[in-house]
Amino acid sequence: MNHNPPKWADRFLRWYCNPKYIEEIEGDIYELFERRIEGQNPGVAKFKFILDVLRFFRWSNIKRTNSKYTTMNRFTLFSNYLKLGMRNIRRNMVSSMINIIGMAIAICFAISIFIFTDFQLNMDSFHSNGDRIYQITNYVDQEGNENLWSDSPITLGPAITEDHPSVESFARIEYRSSVVKYKSDVFDELVVFTDPQFFEMFDFDMITGDRKVLYDRSQVVITKEMAIKYFNDEEPLGKELSFKFMNGTAKRFFVGAVLEEYPSNASIRFDFYLPMENFFDLGFEDTQGWAFMTDATFVMLKEGEQIRSIFDSFDRYKEIQHQSNPEWKVKSFEPLPLAELSTKSFMIEGSVSGGGHPAGRVALLIIATFLLGMACFNFMNISVVSASKRLKEIALRKVMGSVRREIIYQFMTENLLKCFFALFLGALLSYFLLIPWFDIMIPELDIEFRTINPMTLVYFMVGLLFVVGIISGAYPSFYISKFDTITIFKGKEKFGSKNLFSKIMLGFQFFLAVMTIVGCFIMTEQSIHLGEKDWGYDPEGTMSVYVSGPGQYELLKNEIINHPAVNRHTSSDLLIGRGIAKVSMEMGDKQVGVRLIGASEDYFETFQLRMVDGRPLTNRAEDRNGNVVVNEKFVEAMGWERGVGQTFTYDSMQHKVVGVVQDFHYYDFFSAIDPVMIRGLAPENVRYFTVQTDPFKLSELEQYTREAWLTIAPDDPFDRVFQEDVFDGFCQENQSNISILMLVTGIAITLACLGLYGLISFNVQGKLKEFSVRKVLGAEPKAIVRIVGKQYIWVLIISFLIGAPLGSIGMMNLVVNVFPEPKAVTPLPFIIAMIIILIILIITVAGQIKRAINVNPAELLRAE
Amino acid sequence: MKGSHLGELEELVLLTVGSLYDEAYGVAVMDEIREQAGRDMNISAVHAVLRRLEEKGLLKSQMGGSTNERGGRRKRLFTLTKAGKEILDESIALRNSLYQRIPNVNYHFST
Repeated sequence: MNHNPPKWADRFLRWYCNPKYIEEIEGDIYELFERRIEGQNPGVAKFKFILDVLRFFRWSNIKRTNSKYTTMNRFTLFSNYLKLGMRNIRRNMVSSMINIIGMAIAICFAISIFIFTDFQLNMDSFHSNGDRIYQITNYVDQEGNENLWSDSPITLGPAITEDHPSVESFARIEYRSSVVKYKSDVFDELVVFTDPQFFEMFDFDMITGDRKVLYDRSQVVITKEMAIKYFNDEEPLGKELSFKFMNGTAKRFFVGAVLEEYPSNASIRFDFYLPMENFFDLGFEDTQGWAFMTDATFVMLKEGEQIRSIFDSFDRYKEIQHQSNPEWKVKSFEPLPLAELSTKSFMIEGSVSGGGHPAGRVALLIIATFLLGMACFNFMNISVVSASKRLKEIALRKVMGSVRREIIYQFMTENLLKCFFALFLGALLSYFLLIPWFDIMIPELDIEFRTINPMTLVYFMVGLLFVVGIISGAYPSFYISKFDTITIFKGKEKFGSKNLFSKIMLGFQFFLAVMTIVGCFIMTEQSIHLGEKDWGYDPEGTMSVYVSGPGQYELLKNEIINHPAVNRHTSSDLLIGRGIAKVSMEMGDKQVGVRLIGASEDYFETFQLRMVDGRPLTNRAEDRNGNVVVNEKFVEAMGWERGVGQTFTYDSMQHKVVGVVQDFHYYDFFSAIDPVMIRGLAPENVRYFTVQTDPFKLSELEQYTREAWLTIAPDDPFDRVFQEDVFDGFCQENQSNISILMLVTGIAITLACLGLYGLISFNVQGKLKEFSVRKVLGAEPKAIVRIVGKQYIWVLIISFLIGAPLGSIGMMNLVVNVFPEPKAVTPLPFIIAMIIILIILIITVAGQIKRAINVNPAELLRAE
Repeated sequence: MKGSHLGELEELVLLTVGSLYDEAYGVAVMDEIREQAGRDMNISAVHAVLRRLEEKGLLKSQMGGSTNERGGRRKRLFTLTKAGKEILDESIALRNSLYQRIPNVNYHFST
């Protein structure tokens, strides 16, 4: 039987062994192997062969470059590469600029997203005790759904701290709205009651005042912003502010400390901090015991303790809680570390810490990676093209004694140089354009061009430079350096004749571009659709003023309704656009959430709501008590054929539907419309006085009302809402989403076109002689266009066929999560994407095709 | 000075190459040492010593003709140089002269 030594070992030997010695070494090992195979069993012989190969793997046998090269001055060579790189960039200004700018755009995006993500992931990292602080959230069973709530029993914090020696302290947060007054300045504010330990747990910097200030129950801690708002440049410390709460009680507090501006990565930020004890004294609803849920509970462990140590009490707490509040049963307690709070806040109902939904963050990261990938592919393609003009230089270098590795180094150096410029430009773009733009587009975040730890950004940029430089430079430099000197000089190197790799890259690049474009268009279409959505009523010329009760309402009404500009007026307890109470109602056998509005006569006319059936509410006695108007969703949820005339029971009272109103948006457009029921307003519940006027008289009426207000209620802020403005926040957000998407689409298209331009000019360059011959033989321009085009048209079609469905599926998954009633996907985004790509394709390619058509055969075919 | 000193293993290999005359290549040297001196060396060590001796100028080598053995690979055949022969002579002369001086009769061999 014929036995051979293991192939891999032999190959390994040939790979490392100095060619000078390979023959004798291999010969000896083979001789020994043959001898052993006769005497011993083949396995042992093979094993010994491997052993021999490994034994020969020593320094003296390993392939090395000739020592002449290693003594060469590396630095001089390197500076020569740099100089040549600069010259080449200058000589091929256009293609270099395309390259650098394309890369810079992608890098700019990558840097910005990195900063953005870093910022989001480092929320609240500045608290020195951060790793010991947990918020105790809890899951609550609500109609079969388990929701994570920030609100927890008010006694939970003290109970945990008392029962567990491992817990150092706790701080609760309870917020209330309040009217704050200093001298004649009156504003509505959101204030929090918290435990005095709050400022010992959290490291918010104070400008003046002591961290223990809240132990004195007459003190209030305010932010710098509030100090300026109320006291301007006066010294705030010791100033007296009066707080009036919704239940009518009022109390004065002295400013005991002023907080420095919050760091941009602080997720917990309130304006007024009052000592907790006052909350119990102020006589709100029953606030004692396990039944009352306060807005948030934080606990801080002692140094070195584990959060697990408090888990064993949870069952006991749960039991007490269930007994005291059977309506709102806590299923399980869930301690969340402070560091995770802002990334999870989107899941927490009533969260006290801000932080966006991670979907947007992930989407941005994916987009950044896509763009960077596309830019790298461009870079490769264009580098190969521009190198095709330098074949003779390479050949000459080889003749003069360059080895392949040095040519690789040279091209790598040039690529790194270009990448360095791109990085520099990208960082500038990010600093001056994209980051400030993000800052404007996402108003709830302050984003600056820096990372929490400044070195992270430096590392990231250096890493980006090398990763991008090496990935994008590797292919051209390895490919080009491989060419044989003689074939280059003979002019036989068939450069670009069968560049399958380039085509695959182009295809992939277009695939990414199509995916981005289609995805962005779908998203944009949805956003535009959302922005143009009918509000369900006509908001123009409507103004509402907040009143504290019937007293203020009567006074204000009498002042205003005689003004000639007022067309109609009405009153209600809640305002469309400002959040409307949700109540639970039995419909058949299931519980349905219903929005409930109390309204007086003329409500529908004033808000210009559209009745579809029946009549609006009037001031008749039965309309004030018992008759209701419902929206279309309500009729649908009840399963009625026709709403008018139907009766139902709510709150143990018979209600009769007298009218049906068209569905209208009362909160934002992201949430679906619930059933709405509008009933008569009990006079003591009045909160909003609404007038309707001609739109152009609105500002005049507002001025008049403001003056009237000062005489009626100087102690309360003048709080008016133009109905037109209620969805402004939403519209802005929607608009900025559209802008961001448009930007990304634009960049994707630009990058794809740069790539195509590079590849086609490369291809035309390589085929100029062929075109000349064809022209001499009588080819029409049409035929030449076909030759240029046919190579790429398939690549484009295939990438479109794969990219478009993937992009749309991916985006639709996102869309249904974000939008309540997504518009069905129309062919429009696909058509637009296709048209855009085609148009830009034609523009980019036209120049090159012209070059191919105008080729002068006499010049090109002339023998040297 | 390089080449002035000869290690024990080097001397053994040098002698073996000399004794094999024009058939001295890696495997043959290894076999000869095993047979004559009873020492098992592995082939890579033999190569290393041979190359070192060549660098010291005590051996020279050329590639032999190709044969059917070893898959047609040629052998590198080593021969003694003049310097190699001289250093062997010197070392043997030294041994002999020292050996002669061992007193013949009354010497008690230490055990």
